[in-house]
Amino acid sequence: MRAIPATRGPRGAPPPPPPLAALLQSNALLDDAALAGATPLRADVLVLGGGGAGAAAALAAAGAGRQVILATKLRMGDSNTVMAEGGIQAAIGPEDSLQHHFDDTLRGGHNSADPHLVKQLVTDGPAVIRWLIGLGMHFDLEKEAGLGARLLRKKAGGTTVPRILSHRDVTGLEMMRVLREAVELHPRITVMNRCPAVELLSDDAGACVGAVLYDLEHRRFLLLRSPAVILATGGSGRLHLGGFPTSNHYGATADGLVLAYRMGARLRDLDSFQYHPTGVAWPAPLAGGLISEAVRSAGAWLVNGHGQRFVDELLARDIVAAAILREIAEGRGVTRGGRVGVFLDTPGLLARQPDLLETRLTGLKHLAHKAGFDPRREPFLVAPTLHYQNGGAVIDPQGETTIPGLYAAGEVSGGVHGRNRLMGNALLEIISFGRRAGAHAAARPVAAYSRGGIEHVHRWQRALAAAGLPRAPRAPLLYPDYAPFSLRQHAAA
Amino acid sequence: MDTLNQVLLYPAFQLGADLEGWLAAGGGQGLIAALAEPAAIIPTLREADLRGMGGAGFPTWRKWQAAAEAPGAGKFVVCNGNEDEPGTFKDRHLLRWTPHAVVEGGLIAALATGAAHLVLYINPHQAAAVAEMRRAVAQWQASPWLARMERALGHPLDIAVVETSGRYIGGEETAVISWLDGHFPFPRRKPPFPAQSGVGRAPTLINNTETLAHVPHILRHGAAWYRALGIGAAAGTKLYSLSGDVMRPGLYELPMGTSLQELIFVHGGGMLEGRDFKAVFTGGPSNTLLTKRDLDVALDFDSVRARRSRLGTGAMIVISEGTSIIRKVAEYIAFFAAGSCGQCPSCKAGTFQLARLLDRIDGGRGTAEDLQALESLCRILPGSGRCGLIDGAVTVVESSLHTFPDEYAATR
Ligand SMILES: Cc1cc2nc3c(=O)[nH]c(=O)nc-3n(C[C@H](O)[C@H](O)[C@H](O)COP(=O)(O)OP(=O)(O)OC[C@H]3O[C@@H](n4cnc5c(N)ncnc54)[C@H](O)[C@@H]3O)c2cc1C
Ligand SMILES: Cc1cc2nc3c(=O)[nH]c(=O)nc-3n(C[C@H](O)[C@H](O)[C@H](O)COP(=O)(O)O)c2cc1C
Repeated sequence: MRAIPATRGPRGAPPPPPPLAALLQSNALLDDAALAGATPLRADVLVLGGGGAGAAAALAAAGAGRQVILATKLRMGDSNTVMAEGGIQAAIGPEDSLQHHFDDTLRGGHNSADPHLVKQLVTDGPAVIRWLIGLGMHFDLEKEAGLGARLLRKKAGGTTVPRILSHRDVTGLEMMRVLREAVELHPRITVMNRCPAVELLSDDAGACVGAVLYDLEHRRFLLLRSPAVILATGGSGRLHLGGFPTSNHYGATADGLVLAYRMGARLRDLDSFQYHPTGVAWPAPLAGGLISEAVRSAGAWLVNGHGQRFVDELLARDIVAAAILREIAEGRGVTRGGRVGVFLDTPGLLARQPDLLETRLTGLKHLAHKAGFDPRREPFLVAPTLHYQNGGAVIDPQGETTIPGLYAAGEVSGGVHGRNRLMGNALLEIISFGRRAGAHAAARPVAAYSRGGIEHVHRWQRALAAAGLPRAPRAPLLYPDYAPFSLRQHAAA
Repeated sequence: MDTLNQVLLYPAFQLGADLEGWLAAGGGQGLIAALAEPAAIIPTLREADLRGMGGAGFPTWRKWQAAAEAPGAGKFVVCNGNEDEPGTFKDRHLLRWTPHAVVEGGLIAALATGAAHLVLYINPHQAAAVAEMRRAVAQWQASPWLARMERALGHPLDIAVVETSGRYIGGEETAVISWLDGHFPFPRRKPPFPAQSGVGRAPTLINNTETLAHVPHILRHGAAWYRALGIGAAAGTKLYSLSGDVMRPGLYELPMGTSLQELIFVHGGGMLEGRDFKAVFTGGPSNTLLTKRDLDVALDFDSVRARRSRLGTGAMIVISEGTSIIRKVAEYIAFFAAGSCGQCPSCKAGTFQLARLLDRIDGGRGTAEDLQALESLCRILPGSGRCGLIDGAVTVVESSLHTFPDEYAATR
C-alpha cells in the first residue's frame, strides 16, 4: 500500500485486504488512444449504476429538471438491490423514534459511523417510505387488513424496537420493480444498459466532469461529459475476499472504489466487510446464496452439531457470524457434502408457525424449491458469506465525495454504517442518499461543461512508476475474474 | 536535479517574502551595482542579450531604452504577472518563491527608466503569489533601500501590487494599460507603444515576471557571466514549463538553448508509459507544433524560430502517439474563444467558429464542408485583430492541419 499517499485515508487505518489493495493500485484500463475515437455525449447529471441508489439519484435529479443519463454495467435493475430480502428500516412505529433509530445504528456500527450521515439517514426514513409507497411499492401490512391497516414492523438483529418494513422476503425486488418503472418512464432519464464506466474524466482543477463508458454492444467508447457524476456502483462481494463465497450479484466488483480512488477521492473503512451469518453452505447448488435474516427474525434458531443453540440469533450480524465461525473452528460444525456449517432450524420454526412459508417467507420457499428440498423436513446448512462492503467513498451529508463534482451513494459510499451495518439500513441508505446526491448534483451549475480529460490517470501512472509498482494489472475489473473479460481485446475485435 | 546552472530556481533563493534572507543570500548586490552606475544598466542588459520571457523574446534593453528616452514624467514600470494560458506555470512560482528577485529587477528597471511607479500586476487566481508579493513589497517599503532609490531617482517611487482582471486577455500589454487606467482590459492598436504612451499616458515599461527576475543576477555577476550560462549563441537560462505525456512534468530551469530531446528525455524522465513521442505545443499554446523532426531543436528564441515556430513562454506541452491532436487543438481554441475580449468581431466570431468546427470534427460529427470552413477561416482571420490573440489561435489550427493531415482525413 505504499504508493497510496497516506493523506488519502486516516493515518494508521488498517489496509484493505490485499486483493482489493491490488485493484486500487492498478493501472487504468484505457489510454488516450481510446479517448481519441470516443463518441462524445452530454448530460446534466450522469449516474453510474442501475441499482436502487442509482435509480433514486436519477429520479431526484430528473425531478429537478435536469437531463440525466443513467449508465449501468449489466441491465437496469441487475444489482444487489433486487436481492435484498429482509426489509428496510424506518422509525415509524408509535414506540419508536428517530433517536432510537440513530442510537441503534451508531451502536450497531460500534460507534464508528459518521454521526452526521446517520442523522441524515434516520431523519429521512419516514419520508423515504412515503416516497416509495407513492411510487407504488407494496409493504406487508399488519393482520387486520383493510382501510387504515398499519405497516407490519419486524425486529431486526441489533435493534431495540421493531422497525423493519418489508414486502414478504423479497423487499428489494419489489423496491426495484417500482424504481425501474419510474426511471424507464421518466422523459428526462436516458438509461444506457451494458455500458460500464471504465474511467472518470477530470478537469484542470481536479473536479470530476464526466466518465468514459464502454458500450459493450457496439464495442465503442463513449465520452460522457457532465458537470456532476454520481457513483452508485454498489459493492465488491465478487472479489471473494478471504476466499469466502458471496451473496452479491455478478456486477459487484468494486469498480466505483477503483475509479474514485484513482481520481484522488478519500475512502474509508476499506478493511471492514460484513459477512452475512446465514449464507447457504448446503445444498451445494445454492452455496453462497443467502437465507434472509427474516427467517431469524421470524424465530428460526441456529443449532450446532451437538444440537445446541449457541447464540442469540437476533444480535448484530458480525456477532452472529463470528459465533458460527467459532462453532465451526472448535469442531462443533456440521459437514455435509464436503461443506461445513451449522443448522438453520427451519423445521422447528415451521412446526411452530406452519403458515409462514406461504405468507412471509416466500423467498425461502423458492430457494428450497430450487434446491429440490423441503425446509419443513430438512434444515439448511448455513455459514457466513461475504455480504456487504461497509466502507467506501467518504461523503458529506449531500452525498458529495472529497472530489468536487463527484458524488457517491449506496454501498459504494462509506461512513453511513461505520464498521458494521444493521439489517435494513442499506435499503434505507440507497434511497435516502441516492435522492440527496441526485438533488444536490442537479444544483451544480450546468453551463460549466469542461472538456475533461484523464490527466488524473497520467498523474496516477507517474505515481505508480515512482513507487516502482507494476503497471500491467488494470482495473476496474468489471466482471469477476472467473469470467475473464479483456476490455482491450473486446474493443479491438 | 543539477543545480549548477540554476539562477532563478537556485534553492537558496527560494525564500518567499524574506528580505533579510534574500540579502544574506547575495540579493541586493545587483541593485547596489545599478545604483553605483545607473547609466551602465541598459548597456549591460544589451551585452547580456536578455530577451523578453513573456513570449516574444524581444530584446529587453531596447524596450528599456525606449522608455528611458521617452519624454514625460510619472513613468510606470509594470511587472506582468497575469500568467493564465494552458501549460505555462513559471511566473507564479517566481512571484511566490523569489518575490525579492522580481521586485529588485523592477527597482533596477525604475532606475534605468526614471520611473515614479512600480506596479506588480498579478493574477488573483494565484492567490498565494499575490499574498506573498504583498508581504515582500511591504518589506522593501520599510527598508532603507526605498530611500536610497528615491535619492538616486530624485523623486518619490511608489510600489504597488495590483490584482489583474484574472482574464487571459488582461496579460496583453495594451490591455494591462487599460486595466491600470481603470477600464476593462481591452487591448488597443499599437502605436502608440506603451513606451510612448501607457498608463495615464505616461511612458510605460511592461516586462514579464521572469524577465525582471533575471535582471538582478545579471547586474550582480555581469553580462559575460550571464551569456556563458546559455548554450551556443543563446544567453542565460530559461524556465521551461514541461507538461503533458511525460514522466516528470514540472518547472525546469535549464541553459537557454537546451535541446527539446534533453528536456523531455533527460529532465522530464521520458514519455509517460513508454509511449512514442508525437508533438509539442509550445506556450502559448499559440504556435506552430514541433514534431519528431524537431526533437533536436535548441530551445532558444532564434533556433525555434528557424523551425518556423516560437519558443513562446517556454511552455512545452508534450503529446504522445495515441493522443488526438485535434482534441488538444480543440481544447486550446475553446480556451482562446473564452478568452477573446470580444472587441474585434473577427476574433470574437472567428475563435467561436473555429472552436465549434473543431468540436464537431473531434466528435466525429464534422463534414467535409466543416473542414473547408476551418481551412478558409485560417486564411481570412490572421491580422484581423487589435492584439495577437486571433493570430495565435489560427497558428495552432493551421499548424495541426498542415502537420497532421491524417487526423483530419476521416472528415475529408
Ligand atoms: C442477497 C442480499 C440481501 C440483502 N438484503 C438486504 C436487506 O434485507 N435489507 C437491506 O437494507 N439491505 C440488504 N442488502 C444490501 C443491499 O441490498 C445493498 O447494499 C444495496 O441494495 C446496494 O444498492 P446500490 O444501489 O448501492 O448497489 P447495487 O444495487 O448493487 O447496484 C449497483 C449497480 O451498479 C452497477 N455497476 C457496477 N459497476 C459498474 C460500472 N463500472 N459501471 C456502471 N455500472 C456499474 C451494477 O451493475 C448495478 O446495477 C442485501 C444484499 C444482498 C446481496
Ligand atoms: C493575448 C495575449 C496575452 C498575453 N498574456 C501575457 C501574460 O500573461 N504575461 C506576460 O508576461 N505577457 C503576456 N503577453 C505578452 C505581453 O503583451 C508582453 O509582450 C509582455 O508582457 C512583455 O514582456 P517581456 O518583453 O518581458 O516578455 C500576452 C500577449 C497576448 C497577445
